[in-house]
Amino acid sequence: MKYELVSGLETHVELATNTKIFCSCTTEFGGDQNTHCCPICIGLPGTLPKLNQKVVDYAIMAGLATNCEISPISKMDRKNYCYPDLPKAYQISQYDMPLCKNGYIELSNGRKIGITRIHIEEDAGKLVHQRGNTYVDYNRGGVPLIEIVSEPDIRSVEEAREYVEKLQMIMRYIGVSDCKMQEGSLRCDVNISLRPVGQKEFGTRTEIKNMNSFTFMEKAMKYEISRQADLLDSGQPVVQETLRYIVEEDRTESMRGKEDANDYRYFREPDLVTIEVPAEKVEKFRAALPELPDPKRHRYIEQLGLPEPDANLLVKYRKVAEFFEAASDGVKNPKNVANCIIGQIFRRVENEAQKEAFEISIPPEYLRDLVLLLDSGKIKMNLLKSTLEKMLDSGKPASEFISENDLAGIDPDTLKTLCTQALEQNPNAVSDYLGGKEKALKSLLGHVMKNSRGRADAMEAEQLLIALIRS
Amino acid sequence: MSISRDDILQIATLAKLSVEESELPELTKDMAQMIAFADAINAVSTEASDFDNINGLVNVMREDVVEPSFSRDDILKNAESQDDGFFLVKKRS
Ligand SMILES: [Zn+2]
Repeated sequence: MKYELVSGLETHVELATNTKIFCSCTTEFGGDQNTHCCPICIGLPGTLPKLNQKVVDYAIMAGLATNCEISPISKMDRKNYCYPDLPKAYQISQYDMPLCKNGYIELSNGRKIGITRIHIEEDAGKLVHQRGNTYVDYNRGGVPLIEIVSEPDIRSVEEAREYVEKLQMIMRYIGVSDCKMQEGSLRCDVNISLRPVGQKEFGTRTEIKNMNSFTFMEKAMKYEISRQADLLDSGQPVVQETLRYIVEEDRTESMRGKEDANDYRYFREPDLVTIEVPAEKVEKFRAALPELPDPKRHRYIEQLGLPEPDANLLVKYRKVAEFFEAASDGVKNPKNVANCIIGQIFRRVENEAQKEAFEISIPPEYLRDLVLLLDSGKIKMNLLKSTLEKMLDSGKPASEFISENDLAGIDPDTLKTLCTQALEQNPNAVSDYLGGKEKALKSLLGHVMKNSRGRADAMEAEQLLIALIRS
Repeated sequence: MSISRDDILQIATLAKLSVEESELPELTKDMAQMIAFADAINAVSTEASDFDNINGLVNVMREDVVEPSFSRDDILKNAESQDDGFFLVKKRS
């Protein structure tokens, strides 16, 4: 039978605060085990948690950036469960009054994935299982998280991926998290159920816990979809349960029966007082939000005339977008700046972390000045390209590499002389070209470019060479 | 509110307690009495707005400024067992 996927995601994002959610211990990643701890975050009796203001601020920003309503009143609750990663045997979270609710993220196919809620909570410690024993490190315990709960609106593995990528991009843009999946600062629980195409009711769902890479998330979803489809095809029921994905074996495995909210015996956290967020504060945060990726992409395409793929590449990382905007300020055709960044600078920042940080040797103003020389016709594209390479190597401005002489360009007579010389000195290349080898033209062009010290315009020179050969 | 045998088993599972079949009738009865005791609270009417703490405080928060954590020796001092700087949860034998 043909089934439709119904999927919702719970995405945990670690907030980039300096301190934990209820104590002043550092949230720094790594560090020797149990060295970022105090009596509050290891849950000793008699300690009193105190909420970090920044956690509330960041959660509000995250809510606004995902089109949520911000609750004027919310509170913290205890979620009770017994596991060694939770020293108090409860997690302080939010149950029925989350900070943010009713938002959405729009995908590139135009579908809106609803966001049910965003709440704040504390992370658990880290467990290492060895020889049947469990070793516990509470450095991560108490690190602030937001949990972003989506509606079951996702209909394909691709949509799930794009949804998480968008969340990651937005959270990075507003600076509330670095969202590094490999360090666990963004992880997803994925709910999956299938229903026959055309059916309205949802099927029984399972939940795959703790996906911390896009690749594994996609593989785990694909596996689970086919597992459920096989069960349904053979008339067996899908059991509602929590699953873990075993990477090495590419399969899911049951962790435990699914708890109901009842099982967590939620109740109000008596040690923490009500959180009130006045409307003025919400509006202040709304006004301070940076331009988000989607509106920015739209503006690049509509107003700056960039092709969509270029716009996508530039908006993906906020620092790249900022560099592009500074470098194209006052430039006639921003596409030239985009080409420099995508075609040349990106080759020097290959991986994602480097693009995220976008630390390159020249300030954007240097690139702008170089492109302005092209705008005013003082240099040609090929000189721009070679100069940019030198600038990136050295961190120096264009003026270091382009002399007055270069700026004068090359007059048509000189270009003709250079082309004629190239033909005379390379009779073999000429006959190769005439014999149908297009490549031979490139070697002739190389001579011209070299002898003009890069000042000749490659297009012009190429056309002139062809004309001369044919004359 | 009535308490069933299955409720007791479910609570025992969540609390990670093993319960003998023979203990069930007694536990079910005890639990029903405890719940009945708590029913007295439900008899008091509460307004929706009364969910707040009795002290009426709101927005008690702290600045996001790091202070030194405790030394690991102090953190592990009260641990029942530890190994190599970790809290150690031993395998149940
Ligand atoms: Zn602490």
